[in-house]
Amino acid sequence: MKDKIIKILVSVLLLILTLGTLRARTNDQCFNCHLDLDDEKANLFKSDIHHLKGISCAACHGGDASTDDMDVAMSKEKGFIGVPLKENRYQACVNCHSDSDKMKRFGSKIPIDQFEKLKISVHFQQSFDNKGPVADCITCHSVHDIKRVKDPTSKVYPTKITSLCGSCHSSAEFMKLYNPALPIDQVAKYRTSVHGNLNAKGDPNAAECVSCHGSHEIQPVKDSRSLVYATNIPSVCANCHSDAKLMSKYKIPTNQYENYVSSVHGVALLEKGDLSSPSCNDCHGNHGAVPPGVESISKVCGTCHVLNMELFEQSPHKKAFDENDFPECESCHGNHNIIHSTDEMIGTQESSVCIDCHSADDDNKGFIVASEMKKLIDSLKTEDSETKTILDEAGQKGMDVSDADFSLKDVRQVLIQSRTTIHTFNLDKFKEQIGEGFTIVNKAKIRGEEAIDEFYYRRIGLGFSTIVVTLLVIGLYIKLKKVEKKS
Amino acid sequence: MATNEEKKSGKIFNWLDERYDFSGLIEFAKKKSVPKFRETIWYYFGGIALLLFVVQVISGILLLMYYKGTEDLAFESVHFISTKVSFGWLIRSVHSWSANLMVLSVFIHMFSVYFLKGFRKPRELTWYTGIGLLAISMAFGFSGYLLPWNELAFFATKVGTDIVGEVPLIGEPILILLRGGEDVTGATLSRFFGFHVAIFPGIFVILLTLHLLMIQRQGIAEPEDYKKLPEDEKKTIPFFPNFAMRELLIWLIVINILAILAVFFPWELGTKADPFSSAPVGIKPEWYFLFMFQVFKFLPGEILLLPGEFVGILLFGIGILLWAIVPVWDRKTTKGEKNTLLTYFGIFVILFIIVFTILGFILD
Repeated sequence: MKDKIIKILVSVLLLILTLGTLRARTNDQCFNCHLDLDDEKANLFKSDIHHLKGISCAACHGGDASTDDMDVAMSKEKGFIGVPLKENRYQACVNCHSDSDKMKRFGSKIPIDQFEKLKISVHFQQSFDNKGPVADCITCHSVHDIKRVKDPTSKVYPTKITSLCGSCHSSAEFMKLYNPALPIDQVAKYRTSVHGNLNAKGDPNAAECVSCHGSHEIQPVKDSRSLVYATNIPSVCANCHSDAKLMSKYKIPTNQYENYVSSVHGVALLEKGDLSSPSCNDCHGNHGAVPPGVESISKVCGTCHVLNMELFEQSPHKKAFDENDFPECESCHGNHNIIHSTDEMIGTQESSVCIDCHSADDDNKGFIVASEMKKLIDSLKTEDSETKTILDEAGQKGMDVSDADFSLKDVRQVLIQSRTTIHTFNLDKFKEQIGEGFTIVNKAKIRGEEAIDEFYYRRIGLGFSTIVVTLLVIGLYIKLKKVEKKS
Repeated sequence: MATNEEKKSGKIFNWLDERYDFSGLIEFAKKKSVPKFRETIWYYFGGIALLLFVVQVISGILLLMYYKGTEDLAFESVHFISTKVSFGWLIRSVHSWSANLMVLSVFIHMFSVYFLKGFRKPRELTWYTGIGLLAISMAFGFSGYLLPWNELAFFATKVGTDIVGEVPLIGEPILILLRGGEDVTGATLSRFFGFHVAIFPGIFVILLTLHLLMIQRQGIAEPEDYKKLPEDEKKTIPFFPNFAMRELLIWLIVINILAILAVFFPWELGTKADPFSSAPVGIKPEWYFLFMFQVFKFLPGEILLLPGEFVGILLFGIGILLWAIVPVWDRKTTKGEKNTLLTYFGIFVILFIIVFTILGFILD
């Protein structure tokens, strides 16, 4: 019984091998001959998706694949071209991959716009020694052993794509021919990132080069058509990070994009088009993307908010936050959902963030400082507003107070600087800063009041001079009448 | 019994009289009389114009102490005068208002002379010098308008000089001469400043002196109706003190009006001129150029195959020339006959100026 089973198994195995050999040997005489010659390319082509779909060598190289007569099959009359020229070899791919009928005939559902996208990409636009584009289909997909993208053995499979892109982009010698300013450490950084680590562990869902940069349509980062152009980055990241199903595996929230778009940074970048406003990569890094650690948050924010960072680091909060593992800027301002800071954030009222830690109990110093700072800011704003009213009144009376009016613009600057000084959490320094605002306001107020006084002074002066002149007129008239009467 | 004060002033008078014959001057003034007729009131406008010119000179000299006639500093200096200099706002406002009142007075004076036929023989040269004084007054206004270097003045000057540039043959060279180049720039400001404070005052003083000397020499013109009266029915008033007191009375009233205008309606400065900005809406010249400006706006692009602006300049040129040389072509008045055509022409000119000035104000 055992022997029988072994015989059946061996027979089945032989049958499979025979069928396999039969499948390998096809009507494609080019392939058959080259395989017989143990040609390396033919061997590779055995598992190529095109071969498996029944596409012959002649589809790309020309010639007649139906005859085993080498002279006929590889004759010019039969359209044999040999190895396609580098400058236009992509045309062999385009012939089918841009033709929907041909693609349907082979039962393919892949898009047919790859070449249209490639044509306008940075890889195709730049020339390689004036002999065709820098990168064409073959550069990435290889030749003779092309696999489906989802095939783990494919050169463009997600876990392999980083090495593929790195083969050029990590080469200083190669990159300096095209863009010497472009860094070549992207792959190295990527390997340190969360994405890179997952990718290295074989996770095809972790973001790799193509996930962010796109594939055929790659553009320089500064080109607004690029997927990684500043204003496009949030939605590119959101492709994965807003996908609850995908992210559930990693146990991370999916509301970052939603929070970001309504944040002060998101509004500035996406609605106002302010490219200096940070996008995801400005805080998290791009190729080396990781969530910032607790202690490095102020440094990340500090890349733009330099002064705030410096002041915070000298403040008593720095030590306290570090000791308690409080994320620095984030504790008061939030992270993805950072909204425009208002004066209501400071102080001891309900809207203040200070009262999250400080309370009125035990004469808490922080509580007192927060209260004082809020009072001073409110007071300056009130004084500023009152002075504007006085200057408006003077202006309406026709008095020129443009100098004083102009000086009030500096109050706005002082308020901005004072709000920055808050980060020292030092009341004396804050008073010194905001004091400049009070000085400006007081001067402008005095100028406005003087102008109003001057207005009334002019009226009184005019009234007086008019009376004097009118009396003179009357006197002269009486005298004239007397003189005329006499004469 | 004479007091010590009177004795002292008498001594000073005697000292001066001995040297300058003041008694002769007083005697002359006492004897001098001016005709008195229904329309005498119009004759005071010459004196008003003279007063306002004096105000212009005094206030102008005071402004000169702070004004800086360069592109970078002109606006700032006028702003400084208006805000920082003691009574600077008043001086500037008085200067601007008296300039406008002076042009108005000169216009009224000219029309009164025209309608009372004061230009006829032997006073042709007085008329010509008067026309010259009006032209210089307007030139004073045009050049002074640019000096604060504000937006409105900048573009009004641009438009005004553009019109000058349309004059055939001589237009382009005059435009270059006025602007100091192709465009209105800091060079234009410097030139206008020079014209305003040196060249025009010089010419004006010469013409004014001639004008006053001729009036003094020939006396005030008598209207035709007055002239025909028998000698004993002709009323006169002594020049001194009667006429002089009347003139002084009117001057005081004008000063009062000027002060009220300057205080209640201070002259605005506007915003600094920016040669690279586009012209703001509602650019208008000073009111005395407004009728011409409005006519040019109404003119079609082409009239009888000729450019509209060219035809406008031609017609205005002919009109102004006819007006200026009225003593040459008005033969009837000289012969003592009534010239109704002349009166109608004058009325037409006044109506034309008033209508187009109003249109200029109300239309954008």
